[in-house]
Amino acid sequence: APPGKPTLTSCRSPEKETFTCWWEPGSDGGLPTTHALYYRKENSETVYECPDYKTAGENSCFFSKNDTSIWVNYNITVVATNVLGRTFSDPVDIDVVYIVMPNPPEEVRVSVTQNTDWPFLRVSWEPPKKADTRSGWITLIYEVRIQLENEDEWEVHPAGQQKVFNIFSPRSGGTYQVQVRCKPDHGFWSEWSPSTYVKVPEYF
Amino acid sequence: IGDLLDRASQRSDKMHSLSTQLTQEMDTHFPPYGRMQMQRPAECHTSTLQTPNDKEQALQVSNSDLMSLVRSLLQAWVDPLVILSNSAITLPHPAKSSISSKIQELQEHSKSLADGLDILSGKMGPAAQATSSLPYTGGTDLGQDRVTILNKFGFLLSCLRRDSHKIDSFLKVLRCRAVKLQPELC
Ligand code: NA
Ligand code: NA
Ligand code: NA
Repeated sequence: APPGKPTLTSCRSPEKETFTCWWEPGSDGGLPTTHALYYRKENSETVYECPDYKTAGENSCFFSKNDTSIWVNYNITVVATNVLGRTFSDPVDIDVVYIVMPNPPEEVRVSVTQNTDWPFLRVSWEPPKKADTRSGWITLIYEVRIQLENEDEWEVHPAGQQKVFNIFSPRSGGTYQVQVRCKPDHGFWSEWSPSTYVKVPEYF
Repeated sequence: IGDLLDRASQRSDKMHSLSTQLTQEMDTHFPPYGRMQMQRPAECHTSTLQTPNDKEQALQVSNSDLMSLVRSLLQAWVDPLVILSNSAITLPHPAKSSISSKIQELQEHSKSLADGLDILSGKMGPAAQATSSLPYTGGTDLGQDRVTILNKFGFLLSCLRRDSHKIDSFLKVLRCRAVKLQPELC
């Protein structure tokens, strides 16, 4: 049989400068099947093939800076081909500015600060390296969450645009797990950063 | 100037969020009616304005020219926002009252943003005060039947969503240039 219908599952840009689209193949009908991604930009009739199938791994297409424009719709289709025929995915229309999801914040550090009577936790981090927050090209806000060892609940704290956040009244002798995530002003939350741990000294 | 730009970008941020909510609100009740089958019915009335379309280009544009682009885009939406606002009242859509009040809110933000930028561009010199005229020639009537009206309304909103994102992006680049000495903001 001709190949099953492929599905474009998602397109994401980590920094408003490049983007990647992923697809899921349909059934292969027992025959060798190849997939190709084609796109057409708004107000142009020219159809291009995916510029880079390798960088983002299997079943994906990576658009480098040179291949990425914003404020322009990309009409994207995946085509599955075997010896018996071709099957097209449903087309997807995307504008890169609406699919921004950054990488998680980096260099997350937690320290116990004790310059008052009671210690507090000081969490600091850096924006993901790829995101150019310096120029203002992307603006990120952050969320910090902490969890006391052996408890199920996370405590979530919005941190705004700050890259440091203090958490007061930590439990004496407790071990905390801390994670940070970020979101562009208009876009999707990143994954949480890998956990950083801190042990609060006994202070009673 | 850093302070003024900070306040300006808070407004532009809000404008873009509102226009995003509006497009989502339209689509929740009536998923893009035939908008898929139809070619994009027209180009946005602002599409003749040359704007950067990636970071590399945007960061090469001078402060004055970015300000001029922002003010041109804002001006270009004054008339269409009136049309959207008038049409929203009788829009054949179950969320028309919420849509209508969001459009009014957008108009207010747009107006005070424009006023703020008049002052700001005055401080920046003549090149920042220059604007391009981008008249809306689509007429004040969105159509007769429900599908046409909803399509035209939705299309205008999708243009507004894009343009408000441009405005917001350019202002945030300007803000970071102005606050270079407070790196905690950018
Ligand atoms: Na690939
Ligand atoms: Na590019
Ligand atoms: Na930022």
